[in-house]
Amino acid sequence: MISLQNVSKQYVPKEYALKGVSLSIDAGDFVSIVGQSGSGKTTLAKMLFAEEFPSKGRVVIGDWDISKIRQSEIPTLRRQIGVVFQDFKLLPRKTVYENIAFALQVAGEKKSRIEEIVPQVLRIVGLVGKKDRYPYQLSGGEQQRVSIARSLVHRPKILVADEPTGNLDIIHSHEIIELLKRINDFGTTVVLVTHDRDIVNSLKKRVITIAEGEIISDVKRGKYVLS
Amino acid sequence: MSILRSTWRIIIFALQNISRNFWLSFMTLMIFVLMLITVNVVLMLNVLADGAVRSIEEKVEVTIYFEAEASEDLVKSAQGYLMAFPEVRDVRFLAAADALQNFKEQYAADEVIIASLEEVGGNPFGDSLIVSATSPDDFDFISEAIETPEFAPLIREKNFNNFEDIIDRIKLVGERLRLFGIILIGFFTLVTMLIIFNTIRVAIYVHRDEIGIMKLVGANDWFVRGPFLFEALFYSLFSTVAVVGLMAVILRPLDPWVARYFGDVDVHLADFFWSQGWQIFGLEFAILLMLSVLTTAFAMRKYLRV
Repeated sequence: MISLQNVSKQYVPKEYALKGVSLSIDAGDFVSIVGQSGSGKTTLAKMLFAEEFPSKGRVVIGDWDISKIRQSEIPTLRRQIGVVFQDFKLLPRKTVYENIAFALQVAGEKKSRIEEIVPQVLRIVGLVGKKDRYPYQLSGGEQQRVSIARSLVHRPKILVADEPTGNLDIIHSHEIIELLKRINDFGTTVVLVTHDRDIVNSLKKRVITIAEGEIISDVKRGKYVLS
Repeated sequence: MSILRSTWRIIIFALQNISRNFWLSFMTLMIFVLMLITVNVVLMLNVLADGAVRSIEEKVEVTIYFEAEASEDLVKSAQGYLMAFPEVRDVRFLAAADALQNFKEQYAADEVIIASLEEVGGNPFGDSLIVSATSPDDFDFISEAIETPEFAPLIREKNFNNFEDIIDRIKLVGERLRLFGIILIGFFTLVTMLIIFNTIRVAIYVHRDEIGIMKLVGANDWFVRGPFLFEALFYSLFSTVAVVGLMAVILRPLDPWVARYFGDVDVHLADFFWSQGWQIFGLEFAILLMLSVLTTAFAMRKYLRV
């Protein structure tokens, strides 16, 4: 499903954000990628949805070779991968419903289909009653749930969550993680990028640890090993 | 079908952007309206200047004075000769007796002139022809045309030259007015383009996160750029409609006032605008749309990295 083969990324000469990273993630996995700030974990996550490109090596997502993808193909790729961010990345001038619908509208979905899917994902994330609110009228946890709902509308095979709990308190963080686990239970591969020790330890799932751009451990039922 | 659906959605997004950024949209719209108002004021000035020139041109007549020995038949034959030219609008015959009477009436209060006239005795005036030309440019032609061997020896004086300066001056004022108008339009066009450019630049800057989000959820190039282009279209359309309304409000009281002012000369501002409204406002809309779309495209090319 996801394969990184000897991937390196340099922003400036002689300094590696990622160095010779190789890994593979199977369909239906729940993988946490952990590391300190600046370790390269976000760079790795961004490569999964073609926000960054490797300086060396190959990144393959399903049938897509990200290393060779054309600019015009990127929108199509992104409609197949759900992405959730620490800062939610909601459109501030659109309501909850419109934010979620937008991801379908840009894909050219019919109105009737949008009217069918959006309430479904709103139910999954528990925001049916708040569909007409604007992002600034929601709590952080609710905004993140909108972001997750939006990432689900295309029924993605992969969901990349980059520090999804970074701006949330403990209660909301656990709600979001529970939501991700449920999504994983439906068969979606989840790649969670985080540096939250408690969350990683509570998951008891595969943990890939990155430090200074290199994988230092990859454990099937791992724990947070960094100090 | 999908293209139509996408285009429809882009139009909706553009309208949402306009309504949800009300003050920025309002100010942009005001600048568009100001530019169009300037263009229409210049058009109005043009109509008024033309009216003024025509009004004075219609009043311009030149007189051909014949010697006293020229017979009435000869002068009337000169009248018929001149009337045959398309350059001549009208020729009136003024008999010597009428000329004397007019002169006496004109200088009735001036005892010296009246006394001199009595001293001369008889009627010193000959018959004369009062000529109106189709256009002031034709006076030179008429002046030369009358110089035939038959009439020339009996012509005492022609006062053609007296009006040339006045007409030239009026034309110069009219041309300068038009030039000033064109410079004003050019200036406003430049200002409008800079404002559109800056509005779009600010919009792209303000919405840079939003644009990034659109891309992240899979929006293609057209979905990101399209709303900006449609916003330019809507600004052009709304401002043109607003200006048509404003012109209707302005012209309603102005038109009869101008018509009264010019009297005999037919100057109707409302007729000018409404009889060719589609051409005037259509062209203004088309040019505004072209300018705004080009400026938007340029601003996007410079600042929007999709």
